This record gives sequence, C-alpha cells and structure tokens, in this order.
Amino acid sequence: MSITGLVIHAVPDRTVAVQQAMEALNGVEVHKATDDGRLVVTVDNPNDGEAAEVFESFRNIAGVLSTSLVYTHFEQDHGEGEHVS
Amino acid sequence: MSISRRDFIKTQAALAAATAAGTTLSGAKVAEAAAFDDSIRWDKGVCRFCGTGCGVLVGTKKGRVVATQGDPDAPVNKGLNCIKGYFLSKIMYGKDRLTMPLLRKKNGAYDKEGQFEEVSWDEAFDVMAEKWKAALKKKGPTSVGMFGSGQWTIWEGYAASKFMKAGMRSNNIDPNARHCMASAVGAFMRAFGIDEPMGCYDDLEHADAFVLWGANMAEMHPILWSRLTDTRLTKSGCEVHVLSTFEHRSFELADNGMVFTPQTDLAIANYIANYIIQNKAYNQDFIDKHVNFNATTTDIGYGLRPEHPLQKAAKNPNKGKFHKVSFDEYAKMVSEYTLEKASEMSGVPAEKLERLAKIYADPNKKVTSYWTMGFNQHTRGVWVNGLVYNIHLLMGKISEPGNSPFSLTGQPSACGTAREVGTFAHRLPADLVVMKKPHRDFAEKIWNLPAGTIPPKPGFHAVLQHRMLKDGVLNAYWVQCTNNMQAAPNMNEEGYPGYRNPENFIAVSDPYPTVTAMAADLILPTAMWMEKEGAYGNAERRTQFWRQQVDAPGEAKSDIWQVVEFSKRFKVEEVWPEELLAQKPEHRGKTVYEVLFANGEVDKFPVQDVTDNVGNVYNNSESKDFGFYLQKGIFEEYRLFNSGPDIIKKGHEMAPFDVYHNARGLRWPILDGQETLWRFREGYDKHVGSGKGVEFYGKPDGRAAIIFAPFEPAAESPDEEYNLWLSTGRVLEHWHSGSMTRRVPELYRAYPNAKVYMHPQDAKDRGLKRGQEVKVETRRGEVATRVETRGRNKPPRGLVYMPWFDAGQLVNKLTLDATDPLSKETDYKKCACRVVRS
Repeated sequence: MSITGLVIHAVPDRTVAVQQAMEALNGVEVHKATDDGRLVVTVDNPNDGEAAEVFESFRNIAGVLSTSLVYTHFEQDHGEGEHVS
Repeated sequence: MSISRRDFIKTQAALAAATAAGTTLSGAKVAEAAAFDDSIRWDKGVCRFCGTGCGVLVGTKKGRVVATQGDPDAPVNKGLNCIKGYFLSKIMYGKDRLTMPLLRKKNGAYDKEGQFEEVSWDEAFDVMAEKWKAALKKKGPTSVGMFGSGQWTIWEGYAASKFMKAGMRSNNIDPNARHCMASAVGAFMRAFGIDEPMGCYDDLEHADAFVLWGANMAEMHPILWSRLTDTRLTKSGCEVHVLSTFEHRSFELADNGMVFTPQTDLAIANYIANYIIQNKAYNQDFIDKHVNFNATTTDIGYGLRPEHPLQKAAKNPNKGKFHKVSFDEYAKMVSEYTLEKASEMSGVPAEKLERLAKIYADPNKKVTSYWTMGFNQHTRGVWVNGLVYNIHLLMGKISEPGNSPFSLTGQPSACGTAREVGTFAHRLPADLVVMKKPHRDFAEKIWNLPAGTIPPKPGFHAVLQHRMLKDGVLNAYWVQCTNNMQAAPNMNEEGYPGYRNPENFIAVSDPYPTVTAMAADLILPTAMWMEKEGAYGNAERRTQFWRQQVDAPGEAKSDIWQVVEFSKRFKVEEVWPEELLAQKPEHRGKTVYEVLFANGEVDKFPVQDVTDNVGNVYNNSESKDFGFYLQKGIFEEYRLFNSGPDIIKKGHEMAPFDVYHNARGLRWPILDGQETLWRFREGYDKHVGSGKGVEFYGKPDGRAAIIFAPFEPAAESPDEEYNLWLSTGRVLEHWHSGSMTRRVPELYRAYPNAKVYMHPQDAKDRGLKRGQEVKVETRRGEVATRVETRGRNKPPRGLVYMPWFDAGQLVNKLTLDATDPLSKETDYKKCACRVVRS
C-alpha cells in the first residue's frame, strides 16, 4: 500500500480544469482547491509501481505549475489494524 | 460508522497536504482520523538527498520507517518535499542491501583476483589493517588515502579527517565534494577570505529578479524552485533569467531564457561588468569603502597530468596568484567584452544579454544569482564564480535581503561536512589549511598532538587519487559514502585501472553493491541515514541534527563506527616516528583510538538516553558500542575550532550540541545564541563593527576582492572527428549515481535508463531516429544508449546531454579528467564526442 498527499500549484484561473484532469487519473482524489490555485491531492496506489508515473502525468496537465510532495506512507501489512468504531 | 486504516492514512495525507498548502479540511472523516491511534512514532529529520536541506518528519513503526512527511515547522521547506522525498522511506530497504563485510578470497584467503565472500568485521579489519600497515612501512603516510563524502554526517567527516591527518599523518583525504563544490570554495576564499554564501534562502522571497547561471533548479532543487515560483507569480515586476548551454525545465518559468555556447559564460559575465562600468551604474560609495580590484594570472592550463600536451602548452600552469590593479585598469580589462563580442561568442541575441545586464545595473532591483554545477564543474570554475561576485560587488548588491550571489550545493552536507569540517586534502576544520603553520599548530593543540604531526603538504585531491592509484603511488585506500568509480571522470583510463592495480588494496563502505563497491577488494556494509544519529549542514549555513530512528540491518555499521573501530588496530608506534613520540611520551603504547577518540575530550560525555521533547527514547548504536556519547564528544571537540575562546578565524561559531537536537536547524555564525541570516552587514551580522555598514571580515583589510579573469577556451572542444559537445548531469528522479534512487521500483520505472538528449536536426543529419540505439564515443571510450529528441531537455544544435545516474551506461567512461587548475574540480560539462549508430 502506498498513499501520498501532495500540494499542486495551478494557474489560478485554470484550477477547475486542472482539478477535473487530475480526478480522471487512477487513484487520485482532490480534497480541496483554493482560490489562489492550490490543490490538496491524495494518490492511492493499489500496486506500488504507479506513483511516479502519476506524479509525472501531473506535470503534463496544462496549468500545473508545481507538484510538491507532503506525505507518504508505505506498508506491506495493510490488512492489519483495521479500525472499527 | 467505521474508518478503514486505508481511509485513515489517506485522510492523514490530505490533512498534511492541506496544512502545507495553508488551508484546512473539515468533515466527519477528519474528526475521526484525528482520534485514530496509529502508533506511528514521528520525529524530525533531514532529507538524505540534495543540498537544500529540507526538514522531514520521519514516521517509524515496529522498527521500520513506514512514512515521511514534509516538516511543516522546517523553515527551509515549510511542509513540502520534492518528488524524491517520496522515496526517502524506501532507500534503506532495497533488496540487495549489504549486511555483512565482503572480502575477495581464493582458497580461504584474501586474493585480489578472488570472489567476494562474507567475512566477519574482525577478519575484514585484520586484512585491511595489515595492508595499511604494509603500505605505511614501505612508503610512508602518502601511500594511504581515503575518499569521503558530502553525504557524511558532520561527525563522520570529522572523525575520518582526524584519523587520516593526525592518526595516519596523511593528508590524502578528499571528499566527493571536490567534484561539486571545490570551485565555489576557491572563489569564496579568494573574494571574501571565508567560505560559504553570505545570504540565505530568505532571499527567495526578497529578490525582485533571479538569475540562474548553470543551475536547473526546477529539477535539481525543486523546493527552492517552488519558493522562487511563488515569488515570481505573486510579486509584480519579478523576473527570472535563466542561462544554460541547453534548454531545460527551468526555462518554463524564464522571462529571459538564454542558451549559450559552452565556456562563454566567462565572456557574458565580463560583459555585464563592462555594461555596469560603461553606464556608470556602479555603486561608487560601496566600491570606495568595501572592495579592491585585482587581476588573476592567466593561461593556467587544465589540471591534467603534467605530461599532457595541453598542460605543457600552458604558460602558468595551476597558478592562482592575483595582483592589485586600479579601478581604471580593471575597467580597461573588461572593456574588451562588448555587447557585440559577448553576443557573437555566446550565440545569445544581444537584446537578451542587454536585458540581463540592465537588471543587474538597476539600483532599484534586488537581484539574487544562483548557480550550481554549470559554474563549478568548469575548467575556469573559480574564475567564473568570481566573475559573478564582481558584478554583485560593483553594484553593492550583496549581503542584504534579496541581493545575493548564492552558490547552491548538490549534496546534503557538502557545506556542513566537506567544507566546514575540512575533509579536503588541503583543509582543517573552520576554514584552516594544512599549508599554514599557525593553523597546524592550532589543530595540534586542540587534538593534543606532538608538534609537527600534521604534514604541511596538501594530500592528493580526488582526481589525483585515481592517478596515483593507477601509478601505484597510493596503495591502501578507503572509500566511504560515495560511488566514485561511477562519479569520477575518465574511468577507463584512470579510475578502474587504479582500483584493479595489483599493488593496491581498496576498501569501500556502502549500503549497496555499487559500481565502486564491486570494483573494490573489501566491501564494508554501512548503516545509512536514519539508522544512525546524524547532522548535516546545508547550502544556507544551516546545521541540522537528527536522532537514530531505526537500527541498521545485519552487521551494517555507520561510517563513524567503522573509522573509530578501525583506529583501534594501530599502535601509535606503528604510525608515528620516534621524534613525535618523544614530545608526548604519555602517548607511548597507546592505540590511535586512545590518542584520537578516547582522549578525554571526545569520550567525556557518558552514554545517555536520547529523547525527544515528548519523551520517546531513541537508540544510539555507537554510544552503546564505544561506551560514551561519541557524536556529542566529536561535535563538542569540533566546536573548539569554530567557537572556542582562542579561535584563529571568526565567523563559523556554532551552538552547543544539545541545542541542535531541539531546533529545526540554525544558520552559523551563532552569536549570543542567535543565528545569522545575512553575513558581513551591520544589523544582520554581529561580527560587523558598529558604524561600519559592511565589513568583509574574512579579509584582513575588510574588503572583498573583485578579480578580473578573461575568457579562456575549454580543454576540449568539438572538431571534425568528434563534432558535438557532451554535457553530463542529473535528472529529477535520480539522485547522483542512482545507488539509492535506482533501488526504488517506482523511480526505476519512471526513469529506468539514461539516454542521450539531442537536437532533432542533429539526429536527422546522422540518420538517427528517436529511441534508436546509438553509441556515444569520445577519445576515451564509448557508451551504448538511446537517442531522445523530445522531452524535458532540449539541447541546441551541436550539443548533447546525458545523465550519469545509470550504472549500465557509465558516462564517465567518456568524460575527460580536465579540472579547474585552481580548485581541482572536474569539468563534467564539456568534452567532445560523436554519436553514431550502434
């Protein structure tokens, strides 16, 4: 399991288009987009191999200025510790 | 309602990203995630990769690093990391991690032609010590040597340097920082008399214009680039100028992008100085008070072997001397570099060069200049670094927020370890040098050594070490924390024959079986990054510590453990002559370990629980093994060089050890407990005398040196036979030789193999198509690769670019070992090649 949190900086007036393009990518969720073009994004990869390709494809979305990584989590034992409340 | 572990982690990731973006998230999941106990222990750390020095929070669970996040409290990166940060928690867990020493053996005994077999540390060090002692006995201290790293922690560099210079009495220790920073150091010492940038990363928010000279920050320093991008997009009138020998990703943000013919940066920089003078834009008051003018010795050769024709042809080989001139004489020297001439030589349109000159000459624009390997890996690297200082000094645009000539670094502790500790062949801690007797005397006093222990002659620098190995002069050799077989130039003719010379014994310490390790005779498994307590110093003079988060696998041991433990194998009588011992009879019969490390200073702090401010307790493997707090003892002894009462050179003051474990790094000099953001200017730097305004106190007269240096050609330029320039460098996905990043499956997949970037027309002229297999050939070797005519790097016609991370495509079989004759740093950016069908 690999889960990553990122901040994407987009040209402010293209934020909506950038958000749509991102959400079309496998495992990508946009949690928030701010007025000044910052997007709060997570990437959830069922298999470990795709993350770097997803990051690279962000770069190719028109209007994306920068991609910064904030949080990464890797675990092999992802079945363990399911939390039920 | 339930929240799965996966949802929880995802929410955590989103929350962290939101915080870094300066926004918040809300909702039921968020509240629930906050209450979820994941039993991950978080602690502050520092990124393992480049010289930016980003703060990273390291998450550990069951003795394994499972998560990392950009540290929101770290002033450098404010919660962000670059893409390479994604792989931090994975670099320690590559499948082929080394866990036991490996020695080449045949029939149960060491044999240089044998196969690697697992051995104990005892056997490894027994064989190694025997080889070192044999070399010392036969040829003396110049026959032993060590090659280290700008990735060593501060105490690792200090321990290695002390072991070599004091214990072995050999100055043959040099770091891989020779390949990346030596030219920058040379220029700092010449212009300012003290190393490292006067400014800091805060300039990124203060400048009105940025100029990149030979730095692709978008790929190589992404976090600094994101800060620069923010300023460019939010500050009205902000401009970005980018100079390079090929178009790269930093050009995407450039208002003025300039692709110049290799080596003509020398002409461009002189043109700007000429423009400033012709237009009388210089800051007369600043010049009168704070600078003097000089001209350097010219025709200095190319740092090649003395018998090389280019070396023989030079009138003043390796001469760095410069002499005073008047302002008028200086003005006359630069007057040759007119706009027309600079444009013609460089191939950059005149209007672009003039636009660049104007921004420097505008007294109302704050300008920050950045450079990295384009300037440093240059046969006139010291000169060209200095030419940019000349521009800033003419304008007085220096040592204040936003006005900053700033030399970036490529390694996490090129500054903190290689430069500040002084692990170079000519250096001692805190900018002291072995050539000066008072400096040696001072070091010998602190280290409690007999007078005359440290040899006065500089040892073999990086490139010379390979030549001396090949020539059989250097025979017992130890490489730590670097992949120099892959990194050093001209591997075919110098590096590989040197390692495999039957007269030599080569030991390599590394976490992984790198190209260098595989060429060695003994491989020592190394604890890396969070497997040891560490400290790095970044490019803005920030010293940062971390605690040991996890234990190393198997028998792997940290570099400092290896050096200190190995020193136990030598009796002082085996390494020092009688006349030294007679001066300090109390050292008789002791081991080198007892003289250097169990010396009453380094071992004076007892083993203690290392804790963070919430009470978590961390291991310290070295303390456990040696019985004292080794890192603290080393750091406090080191502080006697930079912060003691009788220091020779002021300006490097550091805080006590414990302070750093509680800080997000501090920028030296630390004066009255405060860090220093801009040096040499009153109000920012407490070393500057009251009423002085600006004082370059590294120089006896308090004045910085403007030093004229002319254009001189590259060592090797394209001709009919080899008709292209070859430039080498990095890509975003891989860090340096790829020994860590290529072991991460995602990164490997993202950028598996090197390729040669080429202009489409150059490819067409040679009948080559994108993706086709080709051979890149130089006078020294050939490498098979594939052609890339699109993508992120767009070379102009006549130049190709090839990254060096790929152990399957060893670019340094091609490069020439021409160095800057002053800094001894290799020019990896310029040699002549041809590209042909394979």
